[in-house]
Amino acid sequence: MSMNLVLISALYVILAPFLGGILAGVDRIITARMQGRVGPPVLQPFYDVLKLMQKETLVVRKSQNLYILFFLIFIIFTGALFFAGGDLLLFIFALTLAGIFFVLAAYKASSPYSFIGAERELIQMMSYEPIVLLSAVGMYMVTKSFYVCDIVSFHTSLISYMPGIFLAFLYVLTIKFRKSPFDLSMSHHAHQELVKGITTEFSGRALAMIEIAHWYENIFLLGFVYLFFAGNPVLGVVLTLCIYFFEILIDNTFARAKWQLTLNSSWAISGVLGLVNIIALSYVLK
Amino acid sequence: MSSLSKSPWIFHYDASSCNGCDIEVLACLTPIYDVERFGIVNTGNPKHADIFLITGSVNEQNKEVIQNLYNQMADPKVVVAVGICATSGGIFAECYNVMGGADKIVPVDVYVPGCAARPEAIIDGVVRALGVLEEKRKRIKEIAAGQVTATIERASLDDAEKILELQKIAYRSEAELYNDFSIEPLTQSLDEIKADFATRTFLKAVIDGNIVGAVRGYMKGTACRIERLFVAPGSQNQGIGTRLMREIEATFPESETYDLFTGNRSKRNIFLVKKLNYKISRTEKVNKRVERVYLQKAGQNRG
Repeated sequence: MSMNLVLISALYVILAPFLGGILAGVDRIITARMQGRVGPPVLQPFYDVLKLMQKETLVVRKSQNLYILFFLIFIIFTGALFFAGGDLLLFIFALTLAGIFFVLAAYKASSPYSFIGAERELIQMMSYEPIVLLSAVGMYMVTKSFYVCDIVSFHTSLISYMPGIFLAFLYVLTIKFRKSPFDLSMSHHAHQELVKGITTEFSGRALAMIEIAHWYENIFLLGFVYLFFAGNPVLGVVLTLCIYFFEILIDNTFARAKWQLTLNSSWAISGVLGLVNIIALSYVLK
Repeated sequence: MSSLSKSPWIFHYDASSCNGCDIEVLACLTPIYDVERFGIVNTGNPKHADIFLITGSVNEQNKEVIQNLYNQMADPKVVVAVGICATSGGIFAECYNVMGGADKIVPVDVYVPGCAARPEAIIDGVVRALGVLEEKRKRIKEIAAGQVTATIERASLDDAEKILELQKIAYRSEAELYNDFSIEPLTQSLDEIKADFATRTFLKAVIDGNIVGAVRGYMKGTACRIERLFVAPGSQNQGIGTRLMREIEATFPESETYDLFTGNRSKRNIFLVKKLNYKISRTEKVNKRVERVYLQKAGQNRG
């Protein structure tokens, strides 16, 4: 790992919450405009988090917030690993571990709503995990390396080798961004059935930490999207932002799906597009 | 202006409204009024909310629900009564099952009358609530910083309900410590604690009219038994516990010894009373999980 990569990784740890917060603010404005509203100020997510810091922290069990702290730490670790050009496989498993801490926190809070949220979160993880792994496999087949630093410096954009995997990844990206139709575990809009799903029992600082973790997560997810276009950096950044806009559009045009549909469709799409792409790659790259 | 007033999250409960006010509350979220401009979000979760909007009059069936929802909200919090029914009971005030406005159950900070309250009026009410929210935040900060001293006074039977409520909150951390949620302080009923008032002297610590701690004691023979000292989670580490202990000792000056017990894992409790010159007299195993530590201190009378 060169000095440069360590620097990028450190910059990520410092800047990602600011970038992620602004991205969330822009997201809320675009969403509002799509609904014919004015929307909140762009800094609104920061006001929200600062407010949550000032609130009393209510807990059902004291230990629940410890798990949330680990969730945040592992999300930051995952992102730092990614931007340091680390191993993609380790990145995926660190991401899963972070997710598991979040789920454990919700289970620890022992309320029916957080239970449902936690279970749905697990289903979501099952839904996106296969294609995330297939992406790593595909990237390895093309670039002969699992390391992000090698993948990103590959001479052509990976999308030309793995369009199927990319489309399938795009499908599950909606789950990771926690956007409709796959915002099953903690929707902003599902008061009636979920209360607030997995985050129901968290308040004050713990909720602020979840929000910050989400910002960190969004940034490295966009980084992952960028890997597909890394052959042309300028176009790559533009396309990555376009993908985010596309996700917002999807968020505003689809109703929430049932968990069965989420799981079945994401496995079907991962299975068909992803595996066909992998098989094709194994012939093309012989 | 702090970030608190820039991000008020609202929680809306329909007590027994005709839905007129509810529709107007939801109308505030529509493109015409769009309260998200002010950072206002309608959450479905009391634990995330700052402002509690109540519509409709309070009746016998939902009074407990309202109380429960209010208790689940994190401080600082404000309550806005929307519509004339939530303000005073409105035309239903004299119904046999209606208790009246929301202020019969929870402290209401802002009243928004109207039948139905117009969206402009509701937004205005919420904006006024922001001022109250800010004041409450400052007060909580002062209390947390120990700038407000609690007054210690004798509790009466009227305080029994509040003391029991706080006892159940305060003893949760103890229950977690021993992983035993069947401990007596958590299972005590209102009638049992009321019966205790006949035999024991109760002291309470009060800040702004809210009970933040309590202790009870009684004479047994020549010894004074001190029981159930607790301080609200938000008011700990301000010396309130120590002051309650000193005060209850002073209530029984004739006593030869002061006795109390706590669990062996409750290091904080043991630390607190040891600082007050209590010595461990004996330990006793209660069950698999809990071991009781008895502490004792000689009274002035013993010489």
